[in-house]
Amino acid sequence: MDQSAFAIFSAIVTSIVLEAAPFLLLGSLLSAVLAVYVGDGALARLARRGLGAQIGLGLVAGLVLPTCECGVVPVTRRLLRKGVPPGAAISFMLAAPVVNPVCLAATWVAFQGDWRMVAWRAALVMVPAAAVAWILGSAKGGELLRPALDMAGGDTAHAAGGACGCGHDHGSHARPAPLQGLLDVLRLTGREFLDMALFLIIGALAAGLFKTYMPQEWLGLVSTKLWLAVPAMMLLAVLISICSEADAFVAASLSMFPRPALLAFLALGPMLDLKLLPAFLTVFKRRPALVVILVPALAVFALTMSLGLSGVLQ
Amino acid sequence: MSVLTTLPHTERSGFAASLPDRADGLCLLGLGGFMAALARSNLYWYFLNPKFSHLTMAAGVILCVAGLALVLAPRAGRASLGRLLRQAALLIFLALAAASWWQAAQEPAHGAFDPAPEADAVPTPEPEAPVDLHPMKNGTSYMRLNLAELYIMLDKKRKDYPPHFALRAQVLRTPELNARGLVLLRRTAVVCCLADSLELRFFASGVDGTLSGVQSGEWVEIFGHLEPLTASLVEPMTTSQGGPQTGTGPVTKNQAKPAPKADKAALKELLQLAPKGEPPSLAFNNPGFRIQAESVERIKEPAFPYLFEFREKEPFAW
Repeated sequence: MDQSAFAIFSAIVTSIVLEAAPFLLLGSLLSAVLAVYVGDGALARLARRGLGAQIGLGLVAGLVLPTCECGVVPVTRRLLRKGVPPGAAISFMLAAPVVNPVCLAATWVAFQGDWRMVAWRAALVMVPAAAVAWILGSAKGGELLRPALDMAGGDTAHAAGGACGCGHDHGSHARPAPLQGLLDVLRLTGREFLDMALFLIIGALAAGLFKTYMPQEWLGLVSTKLWLAVPAMMLLAVLISICSEADAFVAASLSMFPRPALLAFLALGPMLDLKLLPAFLTVFKRRPALVVILVPALAVFALTMSLGLSGVLQ
Repeated sequence: MSVLTTLPHTERSGFAASLPDRADGLCLLGLGGFMAALARSNLYWYFLNPKFSHLTMAAGVILCVAGLALVLAPRAGRASLGRLLRQAALLIFLALAAASWWQAAQEPAHGAFDPAPEADAVPTPEPEAPVDLHPMKNGTSYMRLNLAELYIMLDKKRKDYPPHFALRAQVLRTPELNARGLVLLRRTAVVCCLADSLELRFFASGVDGTLSGVQSGEWVEIFGHLEPLTASLVEPMTTSQGGPQTGTGPVTKNQAKPAPKADKAALKELLQLAPKGEPPSLAFNNPGFRIQAESVERIKEPAFPYLFEFREKEPFAW
């Protein structure tokens, strides 16, 4: 790598990490507050509802818990460990980065107030999210999560139940004294952030390499044929790893691509990119991780191709 | 003799057990401190849209507080490979980020870059300074806007773009474009961060050799209007045609129309004459219109060479 390429690479990596860090921190903070102050029973009551209701709740939870994909994985991990059924937690994890007010508004603005793009984007995320949640919905949290991720070990056990490996928080949830509670939240926030920052940095390094060396001519070459444009835009979404709050503006500028390809970009990126891939593979056991990775990709491809070939979207 | 070996056994093991937490805390302090310092620096725009600087600052402060909690009130824990790995990853990132900041600081002072002779250079209005949004030139009123705002209006197929406008841009020349009397005008637009930046470009030609003296890399303020990109521009000019190709004359409001379909192949050829984009930005050449420059002024590079704000109506961000 020559000096100029290294300068570009390092600037891209820095900008991706710094852009995502506040949202990752917010997710970590939320996760820590859940761990310290919310008892298992409060959220586990969701398990009494049917799978359909759990999925429905998870799909729209982003409207009241806005988050982007940068911060959603630690929150989901915590929700699962708190006993939230996978049907709700997984659908929340995949849908919330798009089905939230900020992202929907950004899409609306970027596409000049075109509500169809907003609605199609939400639909193309909610359908795969519901499918993944339905597939994994019958599992228990402990069957989905890898026990070893809690790299820091003991503090979670002290503050909010132990990381015993079963995938659930345990221990008493007596409300801690205010100062002790604040200290626990801060420590846990820091640890959660560091756990997930590892994957953010790995993803940013990969995306930086891709952006530094990506030949831009291929965008023009693949933009004219739908069957090339859709997978190309899906690949682009995974590789450049843009935050879901900003990707609509990039998609809107790629106006040479057909709309189904733009929607494939907008739908897949928030569910699967180079930041999320290592996080999924480390947080979830192998089978659920593969489901979380493959099902959205296949579903987005099938749905957007269908929309394009049927003429519903041009 | 190290401090550790002088401690009583129980105290030493307690201290050793707290080291992983303290190391985590120091990592967080390093990252938080970096974010807070960058948010306060005048090079923040090099990485992110300045409107996010308060968010970065707040996150940096919270990370520092969380880091202090781990350093000052650690819990006993074990050092594991995973824990060391994440600490190493953060340190590698911090080294990379510091190198990038240093690199940005080594570049010529932004705003001081002045490719034009001092006598020719026009002082650049500061972003905060009031500017005349409707300057007059030779009896014509121009509307100031930025290149991305014009590009977005055309991309949205809006018809209410100003018939005469003034915008700032960097000039890009190549021998192929010179042979056709064209230059490229470009600006980099950043929505959130450098990773999502787009280099937006217009082909431009000048009335009566207006652009002939402008060198590649120079910053200019162009006073002009839009004309459709036409297939005839693909052909290189003959020597007898002399200076840069001129347009068909100023158009009245909304007269400019995109090229007819028959010209699409030739226009594709024209678009391919534009040099390919370079990282980190994706480059886009406006496929339907070119800017016909009626007047050009050399300016210094703007304090923020990137565009961070895009307005849909007056007053434009310029």
